[in-house]
Amino acid sequence: MPELTEIANDFIRQEIDEFVERPDERERLIGLFAGAKPALQEIAAALVDGDDDTVDRLTTNALAAGTAALEVMDDGLIAGMAIVGVKFRENFIFVPEVLACARAMKAGMGHIEPILSDSGIEPMGKVVMGTVKGDLHDIGKNLCIMMLRGSGFEVIDLGVDTSPDDFLDAVEEYKPSVVGMSALLTTTMPNMGKTIDAFIDADLRDAVKIMVGGAPVTQEFADDMGADGYGKDAMACVSLAKELIGVETRG
Amino acid sequence: MNEIVASITSRGRVLAALRGEPVDRTPVVNPTSVATVELMDLVDAPFPDANREPELMARLAATGYTELGFDTVMPVFSIIQESSAIGCKIQWEQKDNWPTVKMREPIYETPDDIDVPEDLLERPDTRCVLEAIRILRRDLGEDVAIIGKTMGPWSQAYHCFGVEPFLLLSLDDPNQTRLILERFKEATIAFGVAQIEAGADAVTLPDHATGDLVSGEYYKRYLQEMHHEFAERIPGPIILHICGRTVDRMDYIAQTGMAAFHYDSKNEPAESMAIVDGRISLVGNINNPETLFAKGPDEVKEEVWKNLDAGVQMVGPECAIPLQTPIENLRAIPQAVVEWHAAGGRPTTASAN
Repeated sequence: MPELTEIANDFIRQEIDEFVERPDERERLIGLFAGAKPALQEIAAALVDGDDDTVDRLTTNALAAGTAALEVMDDGLIAGMAIVGVKFRENFIFVPEVLACARAMKAGMGHIEPILSDSGIEPMGKVVMGTVKGDLHDIGKNLCIMMLRGSGFEVIDLGVDTSPDDFLDAVEEYKPSVVGMSALLTTTMPNMGKTIDAFIDADLRDAVKIMVGGAPVTQEFADDMGADGYGKDAMACVSLAKELIGVETRG
Repeated sequence: MNEIVASITSRGRVLAALRGEPVDRTPVVNPTSVATVELMDLVDAPFPDANREPELMARLAATGYTELGFDTVMPVFSIIQESSAIGCKIQWEQKDNWPTVKMREPIYETPDDIDVPEDLLERPDTRCVLEAIRILRRDLGEDVAIIGKTMGPWSQAYHCFGVEPFLLLSLDDPNQTRLILERFKEATIAFGVAQIEAGADAVTLPDHATGDLVSGEYYKRYLQEMHHEFAERIPGPIILHICGRTVDRMDYIAQTGMAAFHYDSKNEPAESMAIVDGRISLVGNINNPETLFAKGPDEVKEEVWKNLDAGVQMVGPECAIPLQTPIENLRAIPQAVVEWHAAGGRPTTASAN
């Protein structure tokens, strides 16, 4: 089993040591970074630091040096985002810091995505996400999307105020494995149930797994509506999406 | 320990609690909306019109006292009145949903863009609030406390700049962030002062530096001093409202000089009381989505008693209640308070009924 000291990058080593407490997560991250190229650890470190300019530059350099795009994404960007997710879940950082990390992730993915797209590499899964009808709040949904993309999912973002018909149309068009619905307002929560009913009426309920979340939403409410799963935060959303499509979740 | 005084009016009870003085029983207070679709139908004052027409706004607000038995009325059901007056795009919705600012279509990008109109208080959606407060005072007299609402600069920045751009700016450029808050500050004060002058007994000041978005240190860095200034310059009691888990910033909030903090059910009453330690009164924190909206009167009473057991000075819903909340659950709040005081503590016939 790799040791923390086997990680070359000082910053990453300190981050794991200070912020990752769960033994399974610690073991996984140490193993991941200990096996990663130092140049990719640097990308992860810059991402955790929210430094988009540096991520942009280092990603360009890594690709130019011949490192495969998939490796840069997995060992640099996604690995960095795994640390961000843990820090966010444990309240070591908050939304502004996560947004800065997401911006850095985007800077790196701007170089990676075209290469992956050209090479025909399949994403982990496809998710359609939207805030339900009548609700214009999207920061929770956006955090989920950012974490999902950072974990290798392709995400189609339907934005806010998404009607049941918009969700249905998106499922017909993009054929996702998972649909995610978000609501911040207690007045709009019932629209999750209405959307699920619309899937049943359209005979599409069995075509997708449906997950829900948002500040006022609870597991009990999700169960009552007939959702397949509830995620209490962006990290849980990723674990749930993996679970719903049958991918093993590690920490 | 303060001595309990003889029976007083709802208004007197609330004002005493806001001053930290003894009361005959714990006041039932709604610093945010208790409007429901059922109440809208009852008095024929539906959304969205009840957010824009003073007579309807006052009529719906009055039901908090006349139908629910609360000690306060609160006519500002949403958080968009100033934003609408400033020029934000609003989705007004229908009877079953609150109006919302279209934050995906922000109106400002830099502090220099901020242009709070000089006639802010004369714009229809701010004037409506002032007029509704006057109507409520005229119609309800001195018996009930009227609570107004003036949005804090942090919340106003979300509306005008968009949540994500503003939060990113707060990390990237603290000076620009402070400039934005400074430029919205006078609007917060002006609207608060105008509501007190119109007859409000207190104002709620929502400023959503919530634990769901930013750290307690953020609150201290950006808002604590400004909130202290609000407490000094608005000539009436201020009830600060911040949703979410806030125990990590309650110590800072307690030092602002505001009269009360409207706290969320994500915070335990006893823990919260221990942190504020008598420096500010607490009001809350009956859970909305799980309890008031989805459960029954017994569960509501249990949460009220938990607050009373902890010594929380005023009880009420944690935030603006879901518009489909059953009326009997809201009526259970004052009932639970009366039962608790009549029994001299938690009634023995608890929620097993």
